[in-house]
Amino acid sequence: MTAQAQHAAPDLATIEEFLYREADCLDRVDLDAWIQLYTEDGTYWMPVSPDQQSPETEISIFYDDRLLMEIRRRNFGDEWAASMDYDVRCSHLIGNIRYATDGGPDDGWRVQSNFQAAIYYRGETTFYAGHYTHDLVNTPDGLRIRHKRVDLLNCDSAELGSIVIYL
Amino acid sequence: MTQRNNQQIRDLVREDRVHRDLYVNPDVFDLEMDRIWSRAWIFVGHDSQVPNAGDFYATEIGREPVIMVRQTNGDVRVLHNRCAHKGAKLTGRPQGNCKGFRCPYHGWTYKLDGRLAGVPARKGYDNTPFDMKDPRFSLAPVAQADSYRGFVFATLDPNAPPLPEFLDDAAATLDNIADRAPEGEVEVAGPPLRYLHNCNWKMFVENLNDAMHPMVAHASVGNAARRYVAEQPEGTEYPPEAEIIFPFGSSYEFFDKMQVTALPHGHAYMGGELSIHSDYSAVPGYWDAMVKSYGEERTKKILSQNRHNTIFYPSFTAKDAIQAVRVCRPIAVDKTMIESWHFRLKGAPEQMLKRTILYSRLINSNASMVGPDDWDCYTRIQEGLVSDAKVWVDTSRGLGREEAVGDGRRKSFGTSDLSYRNQIQAWLEYMTDEVAA
Repeated sequence: MTAQAQHAAPDLATIEEFLYREADCLDRVDLDAWIQLYTEDGTYWMPVSPDQQSPETEISIFYDDRLLMEIRRRNFGDEWAASMDYDVRCSHLIGNIRYATDGGPDDGWRVQSNFQAAIYYRGETTFYAGHYTHDLVNTPDGLRIRHKRVDLLNCDSAELGSIVIYL
Repeated sequence: MTQRNNQQIRDLVREDRVHRDLYVNPDVFDLEMDRIWSRAWIFVGHDSQVPNAGDFYATEIGREPVIMVRQTNGDVRVLHNRCAHKGAKLTGRPQGNCKGFRCPYHGWTYKLDGRLAGVPARKGYDNTPFDMKDPRFSLAPVAQADSYRGFVFATLDPNAPPLPEFLDDAAATLDNIADRAPEGEVEVAGPPLRYLHNCNWKMFVENLNDAMHPMVAHASVGNAARRYVAEQPEGTEYPPEAEIIFPFGSSYEFFDKMQVTALPHGHAYMGGELSIHSDYSAVPGYWDAMVKSYGEERTKKILSQNRHNTIFYPSFTAKDAIQAVRVCRPIAVDKTMIESWHFRLKGAPEQMLKRTILYSRLINSNASMVGPDDWDCYTRIQEGLVSDAKVWVDTSRGLGREEAVGDGRRKSFGTSDLSYRNQIQAWLEYMTDEVAA
C-alpha cells in the first residue's frame, strides 16, 4: 500500500456501506448492477482449497473475469438451461469487516470480512459461510472491486452441489 | 432384491430398455455394491499423489474405505482403512505422510505395508490367540492393486482378471494422456474439485457418451457467449473460452461423425481422431518440446488421438486431449460424488495445464454453466422415475446398427445408444455373474 493510498483510505463505514451494496445486488439477483461494481479487469475467485495459491494452475469453483461475468449474466435465467428453471433467492450477512494487515493492490486497499449466505434454489435453502477478501480501488465512479476472493468453509468438502449464483 | 435370483435381475433389462429399478431401488444399489463395485477394478488415485515413502491418500472402493500408501521400497500399496483391532478408520485426514499407521483409539501401530508393529501393554494378550505375525492382526491389503501409467486401480475380487486385461483398449487413453507429456509422465495438479450429485451413479457415467444431449442441455451457454460478442464493437475477437464452449453446441451430424466405440467390460469412448477437442489452437513451445522427445512422426501420431470421453466402467472417465479425469464414487442409490482431477504434462509449457484447468472450470465445476445443467437433468430423472406411469427407460437409439470391429469391440454412429447398452450389458454380467455369449 502506498503512502498516498494509505492517506486516502476510506473509513470503515464507507467500506461497510459498499460491501452491503454489493451483497444487496446479489440478494436482489441483479447481476447487471453487481458487475458494475467491478473494475474492467476485475475478477471473482472461489478456490477449492483454503490455502490455494493459483486460480490458473489449480481448479476452482469460480474464477470469473468480466467477460465470464457478462456471459454468466446472459446465461442466468435462460429458458434453455435446465439449472435455471427455478427461483433463486439470496440472503447475505457480512460482518467483522476490517482492513487486511498485509497484501492488496498498490493503488487501493485489501478488506477482509466474514459472511454467511443462505441461498434458496430448487425449493431448498442451502447455507454457505466463509471469508471474503476484497481488493478495492477508488475510481471516478467511486469504490470498485478489482478482485474478490470467497473462501468457503467447506470448499473442499464432499457436500457441495451446484452453485448457480455468486456468493 | 438381495433375494432376487439371476432371472429376476435379467428381467430388469431388455435389449432396447432398462427398468427404473436400476436407478431408484436401494436394494439394487446394495447388490451393485456387492457385485459390481466389489469385483470390477476401481480407480483409486494417481501415484503422483503419494510421491514419497509414507505418503498416503484415503478414499473408497464402493463402500470400502481404503488407503493408497507409498512404501519405503517405492511400491504403492492399497490397504483397507480399518484397524485390525476394533475397526476404526486409521486416518482422519484424506491425505498426509506418516512413518506408519497408528490407531487413535487403542494405539495399535502398523508398518506402511500394513503389518502390525506394536500393541500397547502386550502382556495382556499372553496365552490368547493373539499373534503379532497372524494376518488377522494386521491391516488387510485389497485383493489386487495395480497401476497403469501411474493410474492406480484396485479390486476387492481376488479372481478379477489382471488390470491390463480389464482395461482392454481403454488403456490407450491412459497411454495417450501420459504420452502427451514430453517426459512421458503426468502428475496430479492440485486438489480435486468435488461435486455432490443427487442422482444414481450410472446416470453420470452414461451421460459421458450421450451425444444427444450437448446441443440441447448445453445450448444456453453458447448462446449467451454469442449474444455477448454480438453486443461488442464490430471486429471484436472471440475470447479463448469460446473454443471450449462452442463445440458443445456442435450439430447432431458432427457428433455422429465422431463415432462411438464400445469395448468389453462396459468401457467405451467417443471420437478417436475427431472430437470436440480436436480443433484447439496450439500452445507455443509445446510442439517443439514434443518433437524433441518423440520426433515429428510420433508426435503427430500422439496428438492425433482425440478421444472425447473414455469410460472405464464403472468408476473412471478420462479425456486424453484435456488431461482431465472424473471419478465416480457412489454413495447411495440417489447420491454420487464426482471428483474432477487434473494433470500436469511433465516437460510441457505451463500453458497446457492452464488450458486443462480453464476447460474443467468452464465445463465440470459446480458453478460452471455446463455441469449444473447436467446435474439438473440427472436430478430430474431421479425425480421423474418416481412416476408409476411407466417403468422402462429407453436405450434403443441405433439398436442393431453397430458394427463388430474385432476383439469384442463394436462401433456405431456417435449419437447411438451403443455405449449405454454396452454399460447395461456389463452391468448384467457383473450382477448375474454370467458373461453373455
